[in-house]
Amino acid sequence: MTEHTQNPLNHPEVQLANGRAYLVSFILSMLLTTAGLWLAITHITTPFGTVLVTSFLAGAVVVIQGYFILHMDISHAQIWHTVAMVLFLPLFVVTIGLTAWMFHGLYQRTMLMPPGASDMAQMSHPPHERTPS
Amino acid sequence: MLVHLQGPWTPVLGRLTLQQIPYENPILLGTFTFVAVLAIAILAATTYFGKWEYLWREWLTTVDHKKIGVMYCLLGLIMLFRGFIDALMIRTQQAIAVGHEAPGYMGAVHGYLTPFHLGQIFTAHGLIMVVFAATPLLVGIMNIIVPLQIGARDMAYPYLNALGLWLTTAGAALVMVSLFIGNFAHGGWYGFVPYFELPYSPGVGVDYWIWTFQLSAIGTSLGSINLIATIVKMRAPGMTWMRLPIFTWASLSTNLIALTSFPVLMVSLALLALDRYVGTHFYTAGMGGNLMLYSDLFWVWGHPEVYFLILPAFGMMSEIIPTFSEKPLFGYATMVIASFAIGGVSWGVWLHHFFTMAASPSVNSFYSVTTMLVGIPTGVKVFNWVFTMYRGRVRYELPMLWALLALFLLLVGGMTGMMNAFASSDYMWHNGLFVVAHFHMMVLVIAASVFGAVEYWFPKVFGFKLEQKWGKWFFWFMILGTGWTFVPMFLLGFAGMTRRLDYIPYMQWSPYLHVMLVGMVFYVLAVCFFVAHLYVSLRDRVSNRAGADAWGTGRSLEWMTHSPVPAYNYAFIPHINVLDEWAWRKENGLTELHAGDYEGIHMPKNTGIPLFLGMLFMGLGFALIWRIWWLALLCVALIVGLIILRSFDRDTDMTIPAHEVERVERGARDETPATARSAGMPGGAVTAHSALRPGTDGIGGGTTSTNPSWAPMDR
Repeated sequence: MTEHTQNPLNHPEVQLANGRAYLVSFILSMLLTTAGLWLAITHITTPFGTVLVTSFLAGAVVVIQGYFILHMDISHAQIWHTVAMVLFLPLFVVTIGLTAWMFHGLYQRTMLMPPGASDMAQMSHPPHERTPS
Repeated sequence: MLVHLQGPWTPVLGRLTLQQIPYENPILLGTFTFVAVLAIAILAATTYFGKWEYLWREWLTTVDHKKIGVMYCLLGLIMLFRGFIDALMIRTQQAIAVGHEAPGYMGAVHGYLTPFHLGQIFTAHGLIMVVFAATPLLVGIMNIIVPLQIGARDMAYPYLNALGLWLTTAGAALVMVSLFIGNFAHGGWYGFVPYFELPYSPGVGVDYWIWTFQLSAIGTSLGSINLIATIVKMRAPGMTWMRLPIFTWASLSTNLIALTSFPVLMVSLALLALDRYVGTHFYTAGMGGNLMLYSDLFWVWGHPEVYFLILPAFGMMSEIIPTFSEKPLFGYATMVIASFAIGGVSWGVWLHHFFTMAASPSVNSFYSVTTMLVGIPTGVKVFNWVFTMYRGRVRYELPMLWALLALFLLLVGGMTGMMNAFASSDYMWHNGLFVVAHFHMMVLVIAASVFGAVEYWFPKVFGFKLEQKWGKWFFWFMILGTGWTFVPMFLLGFAGMTRRLDYIPYMQWSPYLHVMLVGMVFYVLAVCFFVAHLYVSLRDRVSNRAGADAWGTGRSLEWMTHSPVPAYNYAFIPHINVLDEWAWRKENGLTELHAGDYEGIHMPKNTGIPLFLGMLFMGLGFALIWRIWWLALLCVALIVGLIILRSFDRDTDMTIPAHEVERVERGARDETPATARSAGMPGGAVTAHSALRPGTDGIGGGTTSTNPSWAPMDR
């Protein structure tokens, strides 16, 4: 940190800041999140369909925010965002993937309940698979 | 939208009523008296000696990474003491409450602590030791040492650094507040659902736990961003990656872990908070919630967190052992790889905290194997340390003694960790004392490394060494306490005792519990010796003054600048030629610290905003805990206002003029004493000293300016 005067606007990542993009991203994210909430509240599709569609909506929000707010691209100026993304992806896959694996079939082993005793049992298995206890 | 609460609620005070003040509990009343007297004494002394301005200018508003680091360490030490008192109470309760004929005092059926009170104590003990003692101590030492080791003048974001400190302090202060207003969580430091859900824990204890935890998580994340940016972007010219000191490597690895894992903790706590405040069902047992999801999310953070704690400790050992073996570190490259291997594996082992969840056998086997994999890089590190000492000239000074103790405890903790890695065995001793004894061995590795690091780097920060006599008494009594406390704990683990018992039904465990109490007596004596150690060191500081290279055999860059370090760290940013730059310079006779021809140095300005933000966040936490909505809104508005105010402040830095730098540098004198040993080995002892030259006003400089003194005080 020797003596220097720096204009922040000389930094490419600062130049990318854009009020309109932030606003667009905010509105789009809110719309998509509301859509997800509405889907979950109204039970308009099957449970599996709800999970699928809300996951898709969440993915869309991630892409929108990554593009409009973080300005993710593969230009040299944004190389640290790219590096962070590359480092983050395996962690994301590991945590979500391994969690899915360890919870897969957990209810069959732990939640032995009489038919209709729990909402959760209904959500995780169709009625004909439920284990009577 | 808000959930219905049991008990009274008023708009002005929320859930806060006079009944929430536990004045009828003699233990808490005594604690409050002690704290109040201490606080009044400190405030009065500050006023009497006219130190308020000094305190404000030099400490409370500082953005200097060294002073922030010192304050982190002070916070850690205070909380370490609080956590130790908690441990003392747990041990005495368990020693008394054995068998159905055990006497009961102060409202307890057996022992002197009710189950509710004991629950709060062991929860606070765990939370404090992990996030408010170990973390601040480690973050503080990284804060001080990393910029010095890479030849930087400050952290990448000095303002953010101060903010991280004050947020962590706000969290710690709230934990202390819970002693006297309301109560704390009582179900263990990592929380259980659905037990921590509102219907089962309707009090404010869990809310205290949530928001103090959240504050420390935010503070630590900010700190990790700062340290990563500093290490990546602010290295001195010539410091390529493979010339980075090993402690800096360890810090990089550990902060990558922190940056990637702490957000998971924030989310898992935020979901629990949503459950408790607005009635969602993320973790409830019905309505689509999943209670194991909480354990999953918590330990996705929790396991990387324990490596976040151990890696800096390994880094400290890796700095101390070469210095006191007078040899370069054996296997530098493998050490770096091992640090990152541990960091990487940390992300794939978290299920071993809940092996008994009944995941499928293949899942449990997978996590057993990944857990055992941790032993490989750790083993590499152990052998590297041993080979560093092999045929070295080992000097058993205090830092080295602590490093050796850490090495020994690592063997005990690591071996028992391998035993815990077997899912089949874990089914036998899950939540048992064997596991507790194991992880206490590991956190004592951290404690021993931290004490070693404090001894080791103390002269760099304060300009004088800590004395050896009382320090050695402290060291040996810590060993005695550890042995007498934790060997019986391992044995009780084999006997099948589970953790967190407020009443022990089996008389045959009584002898072990009493032996552990003897261990606690040794620990109490050790604490007394520690206080004596600090007192005698401070009293005799003039005779213990140390030069730039305090130990004579320092190897890395931080030993190249004066002790204590001036505000700007280095008058000239050094050019780095090799790994172990300072050792190389000593071998080649390049130890001159005064190049002359100084230039002005650009530095950040002090600001009080982080302190105020910390206070406001504490207010916000308190308001959320007691559900005082107007106070919460007020705090949020003020926080946002302050952040906006700060972002429009253009006057955030200053230049230390060249003549000031010259004055400070001339205040330090460097010499090579005639008694220095010859440098027969690489990195041998050509000693450079910087000490006070009589007649200058010390390297203290004037303190009348509104700026902080740029030279360190003549302490």
